[in-house]
Amino acid sequence: MDDCTTNMPRLEFRINRQPSRSSRLRGKFFRILLDMKTVLAGIGVSLFGVCVLLAFSASGADHQQKWFEDVTLKSGVARKHTNRAFKNPYAEIMQGYTALGAAAAVADYDGDGFEDIFVTDSQENGKNHLYHNNGNFSFTDVAERAGVAGGNDAENASADALWFDYDNDGRPDLLVVRFGHNQLFHNLGNGTFRDVTKEAGLYRYMNAITAIAFDYDHDGHLDLFVGSYFQPINLFNPNTPRFFPESFETANNGGGVTLFRNNGDGTFTDVTEKARLKIGGWVLDLGHGDADNDGNDDLYVACDFGTDHFFVNNGNGTFSDKTAAALGIDTKKGMNVDWGDYDNDGLLDIYVTNITDDYMREGNFLWHNNGNLTFSDVSRETGTYDTGWGWAAKFFDYDNDGWLDLYVVNGWVSAGKESYVPDIFEMIVRPNIDLADARNWPPMRNKTLSGYEKKKLFHNEQGQLFTDQAARHGLDSLRDGRGIAVADFDNDGRLDLFVTNANAEPFLYHNTLPTGSHWVEFLLEGKKSNRSAVGAQVRVASGGRNYLSFVNGGNGFASQSTCRVHFGLARCEKIDRVEIRWPSGIKETLKDLRVDKIYRVVEGNSKAELFNAKIGRKQ
Amino acid sequence: MRFVRSLVLLFVITVSLAAALLAVAGFDAEADFQEAIKALGARDYSTALSKFEAALAADTDNIRYGSEYRHAVVQCKQYDRCLAFFEKLLANNSKAANAYLNYGFAYVDKIPDAGAITQVILANNSLTLFSKSLEIRPSWIGYYTRGNSYLFWPKIFNRTHLGVADLEEAMKMQKTDKKRNYHVRSYISLGDGYWKMDQPDKAKATWLEGIRQFPDNPQLKARLAKTGDELKAIINEAYDPNKRVDTNLQELWMNQ
Repeated sequence: MDDCTTNMPRLEFRINRQPSRSSRLRGKFFRILLDMKTVLAGIGVSLFGVCVLLAFSASGADHQQKWFEDVTLKSGVARKHTNRAFKNPYAEIMQGYTALGAAAAVADYDGDGFEDIFVTDSQENGKNHLYHNNGNFSFTDVAERAGVAGGNDAENASADALWFDYDNDGRPDLLVVRFGHNQLFHNLGNGTFRDVTKEAGLYRYMNAITAIAFDYDHDGHLDLFVGSYFQPINLFNPNTPRFFPESFETANNGGGVTLFRNNGDGTFTDVTEKARLKIGGWVLDLGHGDADNDGNDDLYVACDFGTDHFFVNNGNGTFSDKTAAALGIDTKKGMNVDWGDYDNDGLLDIYVTNITDDYMREGNFLWHNNGNLTFSDVSRETGTYDTGWGWAAKFFDYDNDGWLDLYVVNGWVSAGKESYVPDIFEMIVRPNIDLADARNWPPMRNKTLSGYEKKKLFHNEQGQLFTDQAARHGLDSLRDGRGIAVADFDNDGRLDLFVTNANAEPFLYHNTLPTGSHWVEFLLEGKKSNRSAVGAQVRVASGGRNYLSFVNGGNGFASQSTCRVHFGLARCEKIDRVEIRWPSGIKETLKDLRVDKIYRVVEGNSKAELFNAKIGRKQ
Repeated sequence: MRFVRSLVLLFVITVSLAAALLAVAGFDAEADFQEAIKALGARDYSTALSKFEAALAADTDNIRYGSEYRHAVVQCKQYDRCLAFFEKLLANNSKAANAYLNYGFAYVDKIPDAGAITQVILANNSLTLFSKSLEIRPSWIGYYTRGNSYLFWPKIFNRTHLGVADLEEAMKMQKTDKKRNYHVRSYISLGDGYWKMDQPDKAKATWLEGIRQFPDNPQLKARLAKTGDELKAIINEAYDPNKRVDTNLQELWMNQ
């Protein structure tokens, strides 16, 4: 296209000059010459036309083509998720509030260089899936063989999953987060796993819905943060009807956060109170990130029915709740936390989904990091305010233009034509109602609440504004979305998506972005730091721009994305500098790196090596 | 005869005393009100609120006192104090239609500072109080206020038709009254109500009738100048519960 447009003025010049020359021509020779010139000019005109057409069609492709292909069925990952149907006296009521548990977590569990996916089901006796990536965008469910399929029984329902290498052996282990008892599976390195929940000290009844792992105390071991929705009453056989939220806006009777400190010997200790993280919120998601670049990862807690929380990591094993000063107290329905530097200013920002519908216009939060441990919500200004009943939202640069885009899934319950809204508001306006009593809540039955909502793919317009491109790329499904796992499943530098849906099949979207924009990816390995390097910050300078990203330990509702750090570099063909700040505090600078490559970097070795899929980083 | 004369004298004395007492009370109320206004000007909210409350205690049904009191409350965000005050005030004087109106507005005033669910509860409470005001004494302001409030409710609650009915009643009342500046509000809201009920022709006709009466009104001009999504945006913005509604009633007594 570029060559064509460069030729255009020359062709025009010839065509314009041709008549004036012809007037001076005399004799046969010149006539023949003229004929030849005419022919040549004709060819020139034709070529010009073709070039113009090509130019237009190429530019049309840039602006109109679909860059994601739904490959769910042909990739072999289309197993449907089914919500848990409870069998207790409150089952009919709970049905409306437990349409959860469709989650996905990505990691290369077998070290073959290709990212695999663990996907949860929630129905009683429903099997969880471990989709092994065959390397050709096809997957094989090996969960049964691996020993991780059994996550759902009469007393437990899977809600989320997290890969984290808790014993630093270089193999991602698997935590299955459940309403009931969580499961910790130790990765044995031979394609199988062993349930070590009890010996790890994690066997405890929790109505857990989310978990992340990061090394909050910098001892080189990944600690476990678990968020619980309901209090730890047995949901499968509750001994009280008073286990629902006591308020729609200030509820403090939820499950809260539990911090399990990794003792470094395969066991964990509950240090929630000691770390000053005790809250009673209805936690739906957790997200870690270093808000002030002091080397300590801070914590954002998204809560339903009440305020979110922002905890600053004091660097001494404790946190300070700075919610009021950093964000202000909110009354919204926080669903998701993701951290990313959307405006490339060197500070990590936070995106949180809430509920926005005709009957409840809360709006999301795009918390712009002000750099002084305070944030300003810029969701209205940036066009990211309204995504319906939001669930997972992930920052990722799908077009490798160097700006983090956002994909947001949404929708609560898409059922019959009748709406559940009048029922719920009839309850709300009843004087002196005891909301904590489940019996006061109306059953949802086959009614719809914020259902059939279109997903949003927000393209980042240079850090100022986001425009929705979901329809163009076929990402605007109407299913009740829950989790989004972002990963480069075919190692081609283009980020793909795995999306979970409640009571429905998931989606696997293959990114087919045309080549042109450059990228680089890093897979980090800690030595002094935790081996997975969770919390490591990577800063890339390229073409006059600076980019920041980090290794995250599971941020995002009902999902875990790749632990590789990916950067889109737009048209820049040169990487000027890469700086890594490891969780240990060690800083390293890498030079002479090439674009469009995946690098493996080991802490303490400032020479990055090219990452080879299939050969991989064998255990 | 002397007995009759005594009775008449007693009656005259009683009436005079009552009138004097009422005059003193009125005077006291007005004095408190003026002091409240003065304190408000000095941003002495504590004094202002106390004086407004004293004025309303003496002259409960005074719509102006109630309106200015709420105006002060909005400035210092003492919504709950205001709600508690009206509740107590009306427990002793259940026939004060204007006080019920202001009590309802006190709930409306709190809405922008409340969470999405509380907004619904507050809005619902305000409707109950507007209805109470109308039960006691039907008035243009009562019908307009309740009718307009219904229009804030999302379509799914099926309350728009109630709003239209109230606004039609307000329109009837204003057509038998002399023309007042605030009557333009009914044209705007009734048109909006028709539009929300998917009756765009009736909406436009109402706005056109309004613009004939009030040719310079910018809200009517804006509605008549737009169609489709642009018109929808104007109306959605007008009924955004997160935006503060100006509930100051001073139009009722100023420049009419």
